[in-house]
Amino acid sequence: MSKYGPALVSVALSLGAIVGYFSLLRVPFIRNHPLLYIVAFALAAAIAAVAALRAPRWPSLTALAISLALLILGSYFNFVMAKIPQSLIAARVGQPAPDFTLPDAKGAPVTLASFRGRSPVVVVFYRGYW
Amino acid sequence: MLTELGDEGVQILAISPDSNERSQELAERLRARYRFLADRDLAVTKRYGLLHPRGGEKGQDVPVPATVVLDRDGIVRWLTVADNYQVRPDPADVARVVRAIK
Repeated sequence: MSKYGPALVSVALSLGAIVGYFSLLRVPFIRNHPLLYIVAFALAAAIAAVAALRAPRWPSLTALAISLALLILGSYFNFVMAKIPQSLIAARVGQPAPDFTLPDAKGAPVTLASFRGRSPVVVVFYRGYW
Repeated sequence: MLTELGDEGVQILAISPDSNERSQELAERLRARYRFLADRDLAVTKRYGLLHPRGGEKGQDVPVPATVVLDRDGIVRWLTVADNYQVRPDPADVARVVRAIK
């Protein structure tokens, strides 16, 4: 157990981070803190690295390779791919929002200004399903 | 956000380049006051300064995810713009803003 222990802990931490992140995506706190999975991968790599330095055998070396690969891939995804360049939104708090008319799912036109005096409106821009 | 804002008496307009028939069916099943609007040529997205050129998975232009809350008079009361597409506003925060308006 002591020979495989740290390697198992490392791999379990990496896999736990992946499974945990994807199964808890609907929880706003988890979704909005993607850094948590990066930290978990880094911790898994540190545990495997310490074990590998003490005894450079296949279990700890494998765990180190897995956690480092995940750390690099995860960091690339979070810090490079998922990053959005800063944009200057043309709406200001305290001012009217730019008006628009767009078709709904049935093709009927919807105008933002038509809700004036009727109800608050939440306008959500999203990337769509790609 | 579909369900948490359901009873707040607020109209939610969700804008993307998609046509969204299926999303609209889902929203209607949940009785959410959601309307999915198709910004096919991204003209409104551009007017709002929210174009992310070649930001899509296939290199296509997509909107920068953003949420804007307007009061009954059409005045912007709160807004947030994403800097990482994994992150979305917490529905509880949006619900709080909407409740404060009413």
